[in-house]
Amino acid sequence: MSDQTMPVQVLPAEARTRRGNADGVLTGIYWITFAVVAAMVLIPVVALVYGSFRTSAPGLPGEWTLRNYIGLASGGVLASMLTTMLIGLLTSVISIALGTAIALILHRTDFRHGGIVMPLIGLTFYFPSFILAMAWIIVGAPGGIYNTVIDDVLGMPWLRADIYTVAGIVFVMVLHQVPFVYLTIRGPIIGMDPIFEEAASAAGAKPRTVLVRITLPLLSYSLISSFILTFVLTIEQFAIPALLGIPGQVTVLATQLYLLVRFSPADYGLAAAIGIALSLVTGAAIWAQRRVTRAGRLTTVTGKAGRLKLVPLGRWRWAANLLCFGFVFLGLVMPMMILLYTSVLKWFTVNPLEGMYTLRNYVFIWESGSTVRSFTNTLVVSGVGAAVGVVLGLLCCYFTLRLRPRGHRSLDFLASLPFGVPGVVLGLGLLWAYAYLPLPLYGTLALMVIAFVTRFLPYATETIGGQMVQIDKSLEEAAWVNGATRIGGIRRILLPLVSPSLQGAYFLLFMAFFREISSAILIYSVNTAVISISIWSFFEQANWGLASALAVVATLIIFIAMTVIIRLVPATRRR
Amino acid sequence: MSISVDNLTKRFGGLTVVHGISFTVAKGEFISLLGPSGCGKTTTLRCIAGLDDADGGEIRIADRVVSAPDKGIGVPAHERQIGMVFQSYAIWPHMTVAANVGFPLAIRKVAAREVEKQVDDALEIVGMRHLRERQPSQLSGGQQQRVALARAIVGRPRVLLFDEPLSNLDAKLREGTRAEIRQLQRELDVAAVYVTHDQEEALSMSDRVIVMDSGRITQTGTPKELYRRPANRFVADFVGRASFIDVARVNGSGWTTPGGVVLRIDDAGAPAAARYQAMLRPESVAMVRGTASAAAGDTANTLHGRVVESQYLGAHTEYLVDVSGARVKVHSREDFDLGTEVTLRFPAEVCRLVALSDAPA
Ligand SMILES: Nc1ncnc2c1ncn2[C@@H]1O[C@H](COP(=O)(O)OP(=O)(O)OP(=O)(O)O)[C@@H](O)[C@H]1O
Ligand SMILES: [Mg+2]
Repeated sequence: MSDQTMPVQVLPAEARTRRGNADGVLTGIYWITFAVVAAMVLIPVVALVYGSFRTSAPGLPGEWTLRNYIGLASGGVLASMLTTMLIGLLTSVISIALGTAIALILHRTDFRHGGIVMPLIGLTFYFPSFILAMAWIIVGAPGGIYNTVIDDVLGMPWLRADIYTVAGIVFVMVLHQVPFVYLTIRGPIIGMDPIFEEAASAAGAKPRTVLVRITLPLLSYSLISSFILTFVLTIEQFAIPALLGIPGQVTVLATQLYLLVRFSPADYGLAAAIGIALSLVTGAAIWAQRRVTRAGRLTTVTGKAGRLKLVPLGRWRWAANLLCFGFVFLGLVMPMMILLYTSVLKWFTVNPLEGMYTLRNYVFIWESGSTVRSFTNTLVVSGVGAAVGVVLGLLCCYFTLRLRPRGHRSLDFLASLPFGVPGVVLGLGLLWAYAYLPLPLYGTLALMVIAFVTRFLPYATETIGGQMVQIDKSLEEAAWVNGATRIGGIRRILLPLVSPSLQGAYFLLFMAFFREISSAILIYSVNTAVISISIWSFFEQANWGLASALAVVATLIIFIAMTVIIRLVPATRRR
Repeated sequence: MSISVDNLTKRFGGLTVVHGISFTVAKGEFISLLGPSGCGKTTTLRCIAGLDDADGGEIRIADRVVSAPDKGIGVPAHERQIGMVFQSYAIWPHMTVAANVGFPLAIRKVAAREVEKQVDDALEIVGMRHLRERQPSQLSGGQQQRVALARAIVGRPRVLLFDEPLSNLDAKLREGTRAEIRQLQRELDVAAVYVTHDQEEALSMSDRVIVMDSGRITQTGTPKELYRRPANRFVADFVGRASFIDVARVNGSGWTTPGGVVLRIDDAGAPAAARYQAMLRPESVAMVRGTASAAAGDTANTLHGRVVESQYLGAHTEYLVDVSGARVKVHSREDFDLGTEVTLRFPAEVCRLVALSDAPA
């Protein structure tokens, strides 16, 4: 024992200076990290607040004013606020019900097709919202496939439906959010100690009673938490309400902000005030969600899983099949088929027998400089941006969870702030900021990277931090005792142990960046258009064929990347 | 018969963990399933409760077949009218004590007033009535255990099932609760199956004990039979403390140790086996200093040896005595130094022949 501690005692002076230098380097890195994160997060926020008190557009001379905040109380804004809340609540309620039902079916019953449905729901989770919305417009617009079939084939006009309505938005939004609910609820369901449910069966409760009286109440904290997060994701969603709401004049806060900036008469100040109002709502919701999660941790049910006897579906098997396969069909399979179909048509027609088929859209993608560039832009932004995000996330986690130097709480707060800022709002903040800052960032890919990294930094810190807290500090301390410097300890001990989460975070960010549209829509330029923007533009120009072809290619890239990464990186397999 | 288990088989995947076991429990009888960790006790109990599906055999509760996979019968747990106490108690954390105890009644649509009354009665029996409005998180382990007990008995079950209900309690509380559980079960006059790996618990509480090993029953008997006449070395070792001396049969009748000492052994009804050992309980061996030889006409066995280890246990000291190769445990209230030459004396009745299974467990 004493023999082993000898070397450390012989070298105190040298060891101390070595350690001292290393600490100096770490302190330097800490302040650089702090400055970078603070700049990334605070600049758009401050610019947004500034803009909300100005009378003019960014970069133009103007005056201080409270006009914009008074404008929040105008009828138009209040109406969109109400619509936002209505869509948010309806979507969250329905998504929670369906997502929980699917999770229970897949993990608590003798459902036979979990092996197919589970990965398909995973794919649906990565299916971009604007592509989903496009497909449903092709189906559900007044002149779309559904209504044409209703009118011309069936002759039952009373069955007509319009996707450009609140109901249509909620419908597509639900299709988009259910996978999120499923993925957040399945963990608690799988991890719940089955003993509580078994005790209820032994006490004489029928499966349905067990579900209502035991399972759901025990899941309540997870359900509330998932509900709030779904609500936040819904009210900050931009693409779905923009694509479906603008034609039908259903306006939510996110789209109103966009319209105020993009179309004349532009009112940047009011847009900024709306952005702040929306951020306050999402921020408050996330604060509440954190409280719920913390309270729930006390009673969280943990324990060994897997012993529970699966509930027989019996005569309800058809309903379970209908729900699971119906969801996957409406949320993934049918939209993909519609887009494929649209992409190979010369002119859009509902009747496949009348269609003139062509591959010219795909040829165009290949030959057009602008679409090829948007693909390369996307790959650069996603590939490089995700790396930047992972490095930044790792540094933030190390400093806030491990080293905890002075100010680490502020760093933690800054890094999690973007959770509460909707994408369009962040874009608007950046728009305001880089109109004034003397940095040549406007119109560069770097600005895209900054926007995306800022927006998704909390995803990186959550993923990496989740694993880092589970690694006992004594593992690093043991390395120090054996003569390693702090940096040596990080490199030799901590990094290898958290590397699965680094891979997971990279994957998550890459996927998020590849699909991102809301924070890019206000700051892209012709040269920096990413794939999502290109698809969007073609669709807005009513070039459904080209938009569909691009969407098909982009979706295939996402799915292939996902499959490859899941094969290669074991850490992502649990997601 | 209140419970009858016939040729029960249970597999997990390709692994058979219960190999066709059979036993019955009469009304009012208290039976323990005793065995080392992983021998299939919990699995057997869960098959009786209906929490696991058996793969073969038949289970009846109160003469109703509740499980017979061959005939496609598998009554779900909630229709078996059982009361069960789990090792971790499984008190529902989102309900008060009263709601937990009242659950089995409430779900049977018993009138609210009647539920109240029966909950009070059940809580009274386990001495928890004053805590009826508490949340489970505000209860100690022992109190949770009582709530679990009250919940198990409140619905007037036809059988009571226990899965190591006392293993999370401290030693003092455990002893007190043993007696209470037993008394409660007697008053309810129902069949009880009690899973434990604690032999003291099994011996002190049960009418009969079933000793299990690797998914099979090795011996069934009253606590006294098991302790005094274990069928084989496994049971002897598992139930109580024991030492073993290899013995071989000489010219048809007597038994000798490898050292050539002839022993008088209780070998009545011992099962046939390839090898045998003589089992001695440490408290039934007398130990004296020196190498006194047996007096003429003395029918007790005597062995000479040397003290090689001692462990002071308060009430007595456990000595390990080397008897020409074999190690014999002896409990004595006297003090002996290590190395002391001693003589051990024990009558034939306490020297029981046990079969030695050749394949070590
Ligand atoms: N769900 C399961 N899947 C696979 N094997 C299982 C499962 N449950 C139990 N087993 C195995 O079955 C065997 C018997 O388990 P059981 O829980 O009945 O043991 P036990 O006698 O109750 O042990 P203990 O005293 O440790 O509780 C063990 O080998 C165990 O590993
Ligand atoms: Mg067990």
